[in-house]
Amino acid sequence: MSILSEISENLQRGKAKIVKELVQQAIDEGIPAQDILEKGLLAGMDVVGDRFKKNEVFVPEVLVAARAMNMGTTLLKPLLAESGVEAAGKVCIGTVKGDLHDIGKNLVKMMMEGKGLEVVDLGTDVAPETYVKTAIEQNCQIICCSALLTTTMPVMGEVVKEAEKAGIRDKVKIMIGGAPVTEAFCQQIGADKYTTDAASAADAAVEFCRGMA
Amino acid sequence: MTSKERVLSTLNFTNTQERIPRQLWSLPWAQEHCPEMMERLSRDFEWDFDGPDTVLKEQPVTKGDAYAVGEYVDEWGCIFTNIHRGVIGEVKQPIVEDDDWDDVGRVHIPEELLSFDIDQVNRSCEQKQGKFLFASCCPRPFEQLQFIRGTANLYMDLMDPPPKLLEFMKRMHDFYSRLMEKWAKTEVDSLNMMDDWGSQNDLLINPQLWDEYFGPMYRDYIDIAHQNGKKIFMHSDGNILRIIPKLIDLGLDAVNSQLFCMGLENLAPYKGKITFWGEIDRQHLLPRGTTADIDQAVESVYRTLWQDGGCIAQCEFGPGANPENVYRVYQAWEKIRNK
Ligand code: B12
Repeated sequence: MSILSEISENLQRGKAKIVKELVQQAIDEGIPAQDILEKGLLAGMDVVGDRFKKNEVFVPEVLVAARAMNMGTTLLKPLLAESGVEAAGKVCIGTVKGDLHDIGKNLVKMMMEGKGLEVVDLGTDVAPETYVKTAIEQNCQIICCSALLTTTMPVMGEVVKEAEKAGIRDKVKIMIGGAPVTEAFCQQIGADKYTTDAASAADAAVEFCRGMA
Repeated sequence: MTSKERVLSTLNFTNTQERIPRQLWSLPWAQEHCPEMMERLSRDFEWDFDGPDTVLKEQPVTKGDAYAVGEYVDEWGCIFTNIHRGVIGEVKQPIVEDDDWDDVGRVHIPEELLSFDIDQVNRSCEQKQGKFLFASCCPRPFEQLQFIRGTANLYMDLMDPPPKLLEFMKRMHDFYSRLMEKWAKTEVDSLNMMDDWGSQNDLLINPQLWDEYFGPMYRDYIDIAHQNGKKIFMHSDGNILRIIPKLIDLGLDAVNSQLFCMGLENLAPYKGKITFWGEIDRQHLLPRGTTADIDQAVESVYRTLWQDGGCIAQCEFGPGANPENVYRVYQAWEKIRNK
């Protein structure tokens, strides 16, 4: 097995220490950082995302895989920066104001990172202005809002309005999700995309960034 | 028939004539935002469930109020931050920070909860005679571990549990078992337990992990109840379809879960095997449904899951629920059988 597939395999099993060692070994062997990232780490995360989408693996498996990926990317970051490799796009994400549920939001973040996107995590209880301000200041192409309570879903509509007010609505895509959210609600508030799971959310985000590049 | 008899016949699938037992769940939010409806509900319907007033000789080490804005420390020492009055908050800073659980000594096992007097509880039970009485304790091993360690950390730990976590889980289980044993010696009718096991479309963790670590704990609590002639109820939010048959195998009497996110038709095979302790969907129907939607929902729960028992009229009055819809739930159940 090639070292890159070994990285991918171990990442899928959440073996963080081994992934770290293998990434170091690959660097030492002179494999380009971008290849290690794409054909090793991100390839592994892709498999995990896909299996999660099909309910074959669960939240813990995704978390340990993401932890392993982070171990690897930490080593690669300086090398990627040196060779001028840029992230596939930039996203800010948070759970909306009044809501503290963050397991789903964290998974979306991890899956997006697993697709090579840069993600600014705003945490939980995030006000509409904060999303918009962050998107402007940090040049994010996408704003992602998560809500798990029916009472906090309307805040997502406020984010859309806030983006309009700030004059950036045509420059950012707004994605929404969380257990009670539906496609109909997405259309009703004028957001751009709703997905039921984190892996599809990451796919959609990559598509958006490609389209906007 | 007394409330107690009505509930027991429902749990035993011998309720051929009587009305369906009912219980209202409400978060403090409901009392604060909709006091009139709370008043109307308590006036207009007879409620079947209650529990003894319990006096603890030693007070648990809690600080603050779980439902107030700010910080709350629970019986185990876990620190919650809350941003909204009337609902619970979340743990931002777990007390066990070490990946090997070396700092597990910071967790307090709340032995104080065992400091009630059985005679005192029994006297209170006597005063509430006629109602179906729940014990005032509720093991929640999975959730409590999350509060101690943080959800994401615990999930990762469970993938390859450090020995000190496993050791702690044994201590936790030993404590819960002693608590259940003591309550099973009182005059209450049922023990209860809870742990949210589902996300919207599946389990939160791999069912193998559930079988390995948590199923055996629940089995012990269920056995304690049954060995002492008590019933046992469990609450678990989310889509828990995968574990419903396991809970039935373990002998659980009643389960409260999100029927509508699992799909009623998927639960039909379990009719007559377990009692569905409510609910009516609080994600869509209670906040936004019409009264006709509510009637239809209640009717379909009854049609799909009732078999001379097996259903309890219950829903949760919490943030976002339309008060009129909550009322309608009980009206609709009453219409089905009103004896
Ligand atoms: C775990 C949980 C909790 C934990 C949260 C821990 C944490 N750190 O997040 C705790 C115990 C703290 C909690 C508290 C409460 N909870 Co809660 N909770 C849940 C539960 C059981 C699972 C949620 C979860 O984590 N799922 C796992 C993740 C992976 O799924 P997810 O979040 O849906 O995310 C996936 C997708 O939706 C999507 N996604 C998520 N975000 C985004 C964003 C974008 C942009 C996209 C594209 C996709 C996307 O991708 C994810 C992965 O595939 C749900 C039940 C349910 N049906 O969901 C109830 C639930 C959400 N809670 C509920 C309630 C009522 C509460 C409380 C009010 C309860 C109380 N007694 O006070 C409090 C409120 C706290 C607050 N102020 O926010 C209700 C909400 C009902 C309603 N009216 O909407 C639910 C539905 C349970 C029920 N019985 O109905 N809860």
